Amino acid sequence: MSGDDDRSGIGRRSFLGLAGVSAAALALGTGEATAAPRPGGRLPSDPFGLGIASGDPESHSIVLWTRLAPEPLAADGHGGMPRRPVTVEYEVAEDERFSRVVRRGHAVATAELAHSVHPEVAGLRPGREYFYRFRAGGHLSPPGRTRTAPAREARPGELSLALASCQAWYHGHFTAYRHLVADEPELVFFLGDYIYEYAINAANLWREGVTVGPAHDADVQTLEQYRLRYALFKTDPHLQRAHALAPWIVTWDDHEVQNNYAAEHSRYGISPEDFERRRAVAYRAYYENMPLRRAALPRGPDMRLYRRTPWGRLAEFNVLDTRQYRDDVPSDTTAGGEHTDPRRSILGAEQERWLVDGLRRSGALWNVLVQQVVLARIDRDTGPGTTFSMDQWDGFTANRDRLLGAVQRHGVDNLLVFTGDIHRHVAAELKADFTDPASATIGTELVTGSVGSDGDGAPTDGYTGLWLANPHVKFYDGRRGYVLCRMGPEALVSEFKVVDYIQRDDAAPVSTVARFVTEAGRPGLEREV
Amino acid sequence: MNTLAGPSPRPAARLTATSGIAWIEVSWHARSYRPLVDHFAVHGSPDPWFEPGPSTLLGKTVYGRFRHDGLGPRGQTWHYRIVTVDASGEQSPPSAALRAESVESVTVSGTPVAVIGSFDLRSLELALAPAGYQQYSARFGDGADYVDGVSSPGTDWPYLHPGPADRWAGSKAHTFRFRFRLAEQPAADLALAVWLIDTHASIPGRLAVTCNGTPVAEVELEKGATKGSLQGDATLPGTPLRPSVVELALPAAALRAGENTLTLGKAEGSWHAYDAVGVFAV
Repeated sequence: MSGDDDRSGIGRRSFLGLAGVSAAALALGTGEATAAPRPGGRLPSDPFGLGIASGDPESHSIVLWTRLAPEPLAADGHGGMPRRPVTVEYEVAEDERFSRVVRRGHAVATAELAHSVHPEVAGLRPGREYFYRFRAGGHLSPPGRTRTAPAREARPGELSLALASCQAWYHGHFTAYRHLVADEPELVFFLGDYIYEYAINAANLWREGVTVGPAHDADVQTLEQYRLRYALFKTDPHLQRAHALAPWIVTWDDHEVQNNYAAEHSRYGISPEDFERRRAVAYRAYYENMPLRRAALPRGPDMRLYRRTPWGRLAEFNVLDTRQYRDDVPSDTTAGGEHTDPRRSILGAEQERWLVDGLRRSGALWNVLVQQVVLARIDRDTGPGTTFSMDQWDGFTANRDRLLGAVQRHGVDNLLVFTGDIHRHVAAELKADFTDPASATIGTELVTGSVGSDGDGAPTDGYTGLWLANPHVKFYDGRRGYVLCRMGPEALVSEFKVVDYIQRDDAAPVSTVARFVTEAGRPGLEREV
Repeated sequence: MNTLAGPSPRPAARLTATSGIAWIEVSWHARSYRPLVDHFAVHGSPDPWFEPGPSTLLGKTVYGRFRHDGLGPRGQTWHYRIVTVDASGEQSPPSAALRAESVESVTVSGTPVAVIGSFDLRSLELALAPAGYQQYSARFGDGADYVDGVSSPGTDWPYLHPGPADRWAGSKAHTFRFRFRLAEQPAADLALAVWLIDTHASIPGRLAVTCNGTPVAEVELEKGATKGSLQGDATLPGTPLRPSVVELALPAAALRAGENTLTLGKAEGSWHAYDAVGVFAV
């Protein structure tokens, strides 16, 4: 297929040309409407089967999300919705009983965006809790709780946050989210692999007590399939409760599109031109299903996901995208070979400039990279040789060197890295020279294990020795779970939470398998438990 | 009517086809991003006048090509029309129709000279099938040596042909020999048919063919599903196996009266799983 495609996406340019932004915002389901609600008509059953969410908190605003789907698993990906637009009203209140409503508005859910809405609610007070709910088609959603970021110059006392990633629904129950909800973090970071694109069948359906229809037994490739896959995963009640509990700040990894892809390059023999078509529908479905602001709306096969969230003077969260702009896997994967080419980049030049510039200007106490793949150098050969993963930052050593060099050069305070991807809990210290254990520790990396991927797991497994053979790796656990952190002016306390099993049911208890303290001004990991 | 996102989806244009034995691949030109294409619904029928409907839907793809396979060894004529479905669910009118033919196999058009196994999308009649590859090294060492009229498929031709990427087979090249007799040197080329029920998904490797020491071809095998080492029947409903076919000419000049020896060498990549092998007069 030859390409003369218009890559501008949903037609945003034409909308922005309309008088006032409200028309665009209304049409895209992204903003408050200035006009009266359009009649959307009744919907025959509860359309909130995929839950509600909020995300990307700023000092005075928050983005809310829902996607109407009275039949979430309808095979065409449209959730049982009619093709017509439907008005979605929302209200935001200061109290759980909605007696002090501070904002009301509506957005129009359209079939183009799978009847998702992303209203951005402005005019809120910084650093406080809010409650929200939606109404559509004569139905009221359950309430959700959210929170605005502190004012830019505020010095908040403490922030509790949770890290989660890698939720292969078919590998087990989302027990981790049940416990995460009980911990009541104020902010949740999702670090990639929200869905997986693989066919689901008897070979990988380890979650007991469920069945899936034949529509799910296919590699996900079309928009209707990606939409259906998000719907399937979002049917998990614990995931829905976790979204309703607190605002999420999300980023993706590879499985939101395809295993181990790099920019427009597939690992599976698909031409770049065709793979971009797949990326376009995958990114569209991602936007439709996440609490993201309209700045993230995809344009054809492109989507700006990297962004920055300040949390007063306490922290600055730099959300990265290490998939969309990375160079392809080197043809020569020999340690010390092509992967060390100084021209190679995992961030792309523009994002790298943006990141370094932001770090240089930051006045935050904690400077956090919210990202996907392991940044620390991990030699995967336990013998005298050296072997590296080309999918992680080890495949882009010059980019890592430039980044960590900038951190040292600009005196960036308290570098923290939040990571997912590997389905294992890992805590590591980032070194000035990874080959010299005595060199300075310049940052701390917390890798959260998976919520679902790889099934039950065990404390130790075939990779334990490999990871712990790297002296800057201080902890490893092969079970499912999440990481809970308390970030304060004096220290960051990180707790690695695990559940013993997930395949049989969602009843497994949780335990804290390790607790580390990272003191402000002193990067690294002090183990308490 | 597409109310909010601008233009309605347009039908695919400029359809073209390439074909092989048992498959036809249709490619087309289309705009994918405005409106965003959810998928292209590919419809086909032997009837040139068909109208697309649920019964003619062959598959959906987001790409600009679609491979219609499983067409069998006989040449078939099909007609294709494509409906573009956008993100809102709106459908374009069907594209103009494209006529295409699959290539007929020599197993249909030719006369068998010497054959190992049955061309039936199953490996089950071959040695060690369907899953006994762990015994390969003990039974076959460096490869098979099959003599037409003497050897038996069930004992002398293993279903799996390993390559150097297979540690279980010694991480080395493996060459299979197929000996057959001709009463006289043929006046015209013969044809070799190598049908596979599956190959390795990422490194299927290359098959090097010689005839009486003369190099005939080096064929890059199609990527399979890496399931043929454990399963042997690609006719079962929902089979994950991905069969492929290699058919090529054996030059008359390379053949001779008396015994002829074909070698099938695998010096690159991982295994392939046989359905059948045969020499045909065409």
